[in-house]
Amino acid sequence: MSAFLEVTDLRAGYGDARVLHGVGLAVPQGEICAILGPNGAGKTTLLRALSGMVRVRGGIRLDGTDLAGRPPDALARLGVAHVPEGRGTFVPLSVEENLRLGAFIRRSRAEINADLERIYTYFPVLRKRLKQAAGSLSGGEQQMLAIGRALMLRPRLLLLDEPSLGLAPLVTQELFRIVRAINEEERTTVVVVEQNAHIALGIAQQAHVLETGRIVLSGTAEQIRADEQVAQSYLGYRV
Amino acid sequence: MSGSTEVTSKAASAETPGRGRAPGRAATVRWRWIVAALLLAAACYAPFQLVPFHVFQLSMVLVYAVALLGLNLLVGHAGQISLGHGAFFAVGAYTAAILLQRVELPYPLTLPVAAAVAFVLGLALGLPAMRLRGLYLALVTLAIAIFLVPLLKRFEPLTGGSMGLTLAKPAPPAWTGLAEDQWLYFLALAVAVAAFLLAHSLLRSRVGRALHAIRDNEAAAEVMGVRLSFYKTLAFAWSAMFAGAAGCVYTWVIGFVSPDSFVVTLSITLLAGLVVGGLGSFSGPILGGLFVMFVPGIAQDVNDAAPGVIFGLLIIAVMYVAPTGLAGLAGRVTRSIQKILRKE
Amino acid sequence: MVGFLQQIVEGLGAGAIYASLALALVLIYRFTGIVNFAQGEMAMFATYIAWQFTAAGVPFWLALVLTLALSFVGGMLIERVVIRPVEGAPELTVVIVTVGLFIFVNAAAGWIWTFLIKDFPNPFPAGAFEAGGLHVGYSTLGILAVVGLVMGLLYLLFQHTRIGLGMRAVAANPESARLVGIRVGWTLALGWGLAATVGAVSGILVAPLLFLEPNMMGGVLIYAFAAATLGGFDSPVGAVAGGLIVGVAETLAGAYVGFVGSDLKVGVPLVIILGVLLLRPQGLFGRAVVERA
Repeated sequence: MSAFLEVTDLRAGYGDARVLHGVGLAVPQGEICAILGPNGAGKTTLLRALSGMVRVRGGIRLDGTDLAGRPPDALARLGVAHVPEGRGTFVPLSVEENLRLGAFIRRSRAEINADLERIYTYFPVLRKRLKQAAGSLSGGEQQMLAIGRALMLRPRLLLLDEPSLGLAPLVTQELFRIVRAINEEERTTVVVVEQNAHIALGIAQQAHVLETGRIVLSGTAEQIRADEQVAQSYLGYRV
Repeated sequence: MSGSTEVTSKAASAETPGRGRAPGRAATVRWRWIVAALLLAAACYAPFQLVPFHVFQLSMVLVYAVALLGLNLLVGHAGQISLGHGAFFAVGAYTAAILLQRVELPYPLTLPVAAAVAFVLGLALGLPAMRLRGLYLALVTLAIAIFLVPLLKRFEPLTGGSMGLTLAKPAPPAWTGLAEDQWLYFLALAVAVAAFLLAHSLLRSRVGRALHAIRDNEAAAEVMGVRLSFYKTLAFAWSAMFAGAAGCVYTWVIGFVSPDSFVVTLSITLLAGLVVGGLGSFSGPILGGLFVMFVPGIAQDVNDAAPGVIFGLLIIAVMYVAPTGLAGLAGRVTRSIQKILRKE
Repeated sequence: MVGFLQQIVEGLGAGAIYASLALALVLIYRFTGIVNFAQGEMAMFATYIAWQFTAAGVPFWLALVLTLALSFVGGMLIERVVIRPVEGAPELTVVIVTVGLFIFVNAAAGWIWTFLIKDFPNPFPAGAFEAGGLHVGYSTLGILAVVGLVMGLLYLLFQHTRIGLGMRAVAANPESARLVGIRVGWTLALGWGLAATVGAVSGILVAPLLFLEPNMMGGVLIYAFAAATLGGFDSPVGAVAGGLIVGVAETLAGAYVGFVGSDLKVGVPLVIILGVLLLRPQGLFGRAVVERA
């Protein structure tokens, strides 16, 4: 059985610097996959490879379609939504414009408006800020906006890069609760990169630990969580 | 972004003698001086073999080379753009002309005055323009180049207005036994050699290194503690000074100045000559001077617009394929020949 | 007093032309961070095309529409062919390429149409509208109307269309724009096409006032630079306001500062540029300049 997202022997880097040395993953449809690991392991590069922002060698297949080597805008059209590190907000544009840009490739006005409503039910705070410039939002609100923007694409694959970065613990928990809810309601497949292993494992079905560009450990979220040695050596905390 | 910066700086530093300390480099540097000496010998021999008109043309090549040397300090070494170096050239030329005509100063004294006036003007205009990104310098200098022509026409009592000023050319001293054109040529040659030595020592100084740091990465240079605006303004003032000196020699050689000789086309032609000759290289200004002197004349035989078409296309082509210009290209060819020779 | 108002009206007419070229400069700057030194020459070339149409007997307004359409395509082509290879190169390289384009387009026009001056038809009737002793030439009114129309259309495009939203997204954050599926390369080309069109309007408006010749736009370009510097290079509204202010300042200086007269008016933009750089470098409407690493 082939998985929804299949990554085989993925290599990528910047210029002469290789960052990923043959990464393999298989994520079934509708599951959340957590990518864990220390700083500089290549987690962000892995997501950038999946959304076409770095050149890759190796295989990336989404529901049977080959994604490797396509530019980011083409991948967006195929349903890959990436919430980049640092959120990638269109700072001078309003919150509503940011959200509408998420649906840039979609045509049906009615559907887009319906989806906006749906986003506001996930993130009620955004509705209050509609006409405000995105740059004036707080960090947590910007992260919500970024995820909302990604959802406006109606993605088949949602890539989240360090959503907890710079957020207060309570805000982070709320955010992950919403990601879980989105995943359950919309059956969106999610790959989430996270430093905070504890919270990521809390919502994921499967997890992979990345170190210096290679996957050193894979398993279900429970297995990874249960493995105390892993917890100490790779994740840097005791469960 | 960093990729292409690297290419430019690598190629440029390879062209700048005296920077490397490796033993292989030392030999290259020695060769360079030998080649320079041979060139100088040939340059001294040439005026006795050529007809006066060709001697005059070579004098003009030297004049342009001095101006380009200054422009090269700014564009090639500090990475800033001037679209108005013709204006400083004109300031030098007019300073010399006015001193000769109205003050009747002996001509050798006009050179330091013309250079100093251009330097001070460069400093004054560089201060506001250099506080920000290099882009504004390009705007300001272009505006200056356009403004200068009506300004020269306006101050008629001083500048002779649209008619310009006609002057006696410096006469050769009797003991030399030289004809006028030869004497002017040697004056231009002496100024050019002095200018090259001056530029060379400027670039080897601490200031030269600071300029390279700015060109290669402004933000990084600032972090390392280089006072950006100070060095950029200084580079601009120096380059204005060279242009002013070149303008002064221009007045000596031509014996006539008028506003229409210094329209904005001159500034743009200078930049074009430098880009084609080679940014940041030492031979670039000479090749550029030859280019500025001869290409327009040849092309104009085809069509009045032909020089512009050729300049425009060449500039774009050079920026695409050989950002170090003719000099860089020559360097590359030499290096690959050396490689082939070494293999055999 | 009437005389003074009269000068202001004249200044606004000139300023509207500077504003439209400044707007073209700002459009490209916002998208690509490039100051296009060839903008004025592109406008001049477009004006020649319009002249060629009218000389062939095409009615003026039809010639205008055809020229604007050709300018749009031409601007896109220039972006794709000339600018694309140096995209992301150091600023110095890009500026030199646009200077090369400046020289080339200028000479190409001279080659095709010679350097002799040509009369360009004035689309607006002669005569003036009078109110309280104030003469407002129909041609001045026409220029203000056309430039106002262009601004209005651009505003609608940017604020109320999907393409405009996409263009603003590219200007704000090209990487994120790619991630939401915008074809950034084509959007940049679109920006160049729009800028070329807006620039062409300025050329066609100024040509009846000056004479049509290849160096026609050199002076206008300097005024447009001053306008963009004054308004802020990243602000379209600033470009328009800056253009009008520069136009009025230039006219008043020419009329009331005896020393300036008509010949030294071209010094006004230089003074404005230097003044803005010293006092308020980001311009009146611009955001503070952040150095790109």
